[in-house]
Amino acid sequence: MKKGIIAIVAVLFVSAFLLITAHSQEDMKVVDRSVFKNPQKFSSVFKHEEHNEKAKIEECNECHHVYEDGKLVDGESSEDRRCSDCHKLESSGREPSLVKAYHTNCKGCHQKNKKGPVMCGECHVR
Amino acid sequence: MAEPAKKQEQEVKMTDEGLEVGASRLTEDKIEKVINQVLKAETGARLKTYVDTCVHCGLCSEACHFYMSNDKDPKWSPVGKVKQTIWEMINKKGKVTPEFIKRASEIASTECNLCRRCLQFCPFGIDIAYLIATVRRICHKLGVTPRYIQDTAHSHSVTMNQMWVKGDEWPDTLQWQEEEARGEFPGLRIPLEKEGADVMYSVIAPEPKFQAQLIYQAAAIMNVAGVDWTMPADMGWDNSDMAMFTGDNEIMGRVKRAHFETAARLRVKRIVMGECGHAFRSVYDTGNRWLGWSRPAIPIVHAIDFYYELLRDNKIPIKEKFKDPVTLHDPCNVIRGGGLMEKSRFVANALCETVVEMHPNREYNYCCAAGGGVINCGPPYKLKRVKGNRVKAEQLMDARARGAKVIISPCHNCHSGLKDIKNYYDIHMDIKFFGDIIYKIMEKPE
Amino acid sequence: MHDIYSFVSGPLAWVAFIAFFAGIMYRLIDMIVQVIKKEPFIFTYMSLKYSLRSIIHWITPFGTLNWRRNPILTIVTFAFHISLILSPIFLLSHVTLWDEAWNISWWTLPDGVADIMALIVIAGSLFFLIRRLTQREVKFVTSTSDYVILAIVAAPFVTGFLAYHQFFGYPIFVILHILAGEIMLVAIPFTRLSHMIFSLFTRAYMGSEFGVIRKSKDY
Repeated sequence: MKKGIIAIVAVLFVSAFLLITAHSQEDMKVVDRSVFKNPQKFSSVFKHEEHNEKAKIEECNECHHVYEDGKLVDGESSEDRRCSDCHKLESSGREPSLVKAYHTNCKGCHQKNKKGPVMCGECHVR
Repeated sequence: MAEPAKKQEQEVKMTDEGLEVGASRLTEDKIEKVINQVLKAETGARLKTYVDTCVHCGLCSEACHFYMSNDKDPKWSPVGKVKQTIWEMINKKGKVTPEFIKRASEIASTECNLCRRCLQFCPFGIDIAYLIATVRRICHKLGVTPRYIQDTAHSHSVTMNQMWVKGDEWPDTLQWQEEEARGEFPGLRIPLEKEGADVMYSVIAPEPKFQAQLIYQAAAIMNVAGVDWTMPADMGWDNSDMAMFTGDNEIMGRVKRAHFETAARLRVKRIVMGECGHAFRSVYDTGNRWLGWSRPAIPIVHAIDFYYELLRDNKIPIKEKFKDPVTLHDPCNVIRGGGLMEKSRFVANALCETVVEMHPNREYNYCCAAGGGVINCGPPYKLKRVKGNRVKAEQLMDARARGAKVIISPCHNCHSGLKDIKNYYDIHMDIKFFGDIIYKIMEKPE
Repeated sequence: MHDIYSFVSGPLAWVAFIAFFAGIMYRLIDMIVQVIKKEPFIFTYMSLKYSLRSIIHWITPFGTLNWRRNPILTIVTFAFHISLILSPIFLLSHVTLWDEAWNISWWTLPDGVADIMALIVIAGSLFFLIRRLTQREVKFVTSTSDYVILAIVAAPFVTGFLAYHQFFGYPIFVILHILAGEIMLVAIPFTRLSHMIFSLFTRAYMGSEFGVIRKSKDY
């Protein structure tokens, strides 16, 4: 009986630990949708390491870009920030909303390179 | 409500020479040519839009007394009749047989009264009566029209009246009625050809032909009410128009022009017409348009409206109100087509002690099944017409069960149609015009 | 599969939208030109007041005699048509795609609501199908084209529902869904689905005739 309780507590601890560290990119499985107030779609599947290996992406700023005055800043990268730090829930001016930014960034690249998922449900898997 | 009793009448298949002979003269080439000529040259956006918009939902069906009375057999529904006629003609681009035209003419002329009740039921407001009238127009141009009504159209063409009333018979009849009425109303005149009168009174040709007492009554009412009125002595006195219902628009136009021009010649302020529905439609709505007038060139006042004015202004002294409970029939052309429902009720209540409403009523009333030229297609179609209006019989029985003894029908066609219905279904009620009742109860000289 | 997707959601979507809007314009202009040429009297009788009186009564559930006579049909047809029109226009996924493609966006429905609306359209289509098959007066005037039109309308919603729920065959249903939607768009101006545009005008004309000339109700 006691052993059982210990086991459960241990499992809970481990899961809590895993959850806390889940946002580290090595373990990333899905795009975090917690910033959305009332998310309608399932989180997009995104395995960071696996994706970059497959896509042969070397530089962080291929995705984690930095724009200033509407122009892409060469050499700068933004992986130390969250996407939602710049992209708000609604578009404003030339700055696309968070949803649109994700879509353009991921799907746009997939379409350009004719590789990777492009249909809604291919990323937003149930 | 009791099921109306039905007389066992032998159903004899009667042939209609108008259809038989007419169809025998047709060739498929001619049919194709005429149909396409009418569709191309005489119809436009309306027909096309109506046909393209109809989603075949069938919601017009229950508007039709024929459909309701024939156990909801779909071939009697408004859209069912459209399917059997104009749709086929359009889909086959006019390539139909003489046999088809014969049947189409029969459907359009004798199985639809153009009462326009289905227009109120269609969610899109498709003018089904216009579609059926277009079929009549095509059949007219092909020379396949039921014989009896075609005869009345011929009469219109030759005599400018519906009943072959010859030139001298008309003033003769008026003077005869004047003379008769002077016995009861000393000094009464039926002023002929009085220029500048307030009112030209016009009637339908069946009145001088076999209902001359209606002219007598009208003269009595005009006399008592002190109306400045006149009647024309020459052509143009008849306001009826069966050519309108055969699709013979050209003759319809001639007849209407003669009528309006007569009123213009007499320089009257307005035309008052007797208790007729189709005539009202022809001068108020249809014929004037054919002649290019958006509204009647000279104001048209239907008898209901005229009696309403007289009674409202206390121009007709009433001895005592009509005692027997009455029920009021709403003729399609003056109620649904002219909005006289409340005035009709004002008149009925001013004249009668008790008015029992039929249901449905006002602009939703069921048709009499005689109008639209159907009764004028004659005996071959009489049984179909009365059997095809069981719902009217039920309406009447219901009114009778609630005490009504008299039907007031301010329309000639309805009058005759309801009479056939009450006879066939053994409904013991009298039928009267407003004029009959006014004449009966108004104060007369001792 | 992605090539097909790119084709149906790219060039073909352009074709469908252009055919839809241009088709509607063409049909409307053609109708108005025909009226001017052959039946200009129609303008004489048009009345804004009575057009609106008629239209408002008929777009109100139970606002007319015939709607009141057929309560079940009325509920179904209103739920069907409202869902049919609103759900595609305000669907989040659609608005997202339009935003990405044309930089236009507007308010959207919660997915759960849109899901129910899709089911309403599907159920409504079934209702109309059964009505066509069983009601004598409807069956009598039904032709093959009526079933085809019904299928054209139901298809985007059936495929959309299946794609949204990703039950099976996901990519195929997305492509079928887009295709079905495009077929419907193209079909609207050129089939009896054009009642979407024309009913407004037929209603307005009949309302005007009844109001101005006949002085009675057409509802």
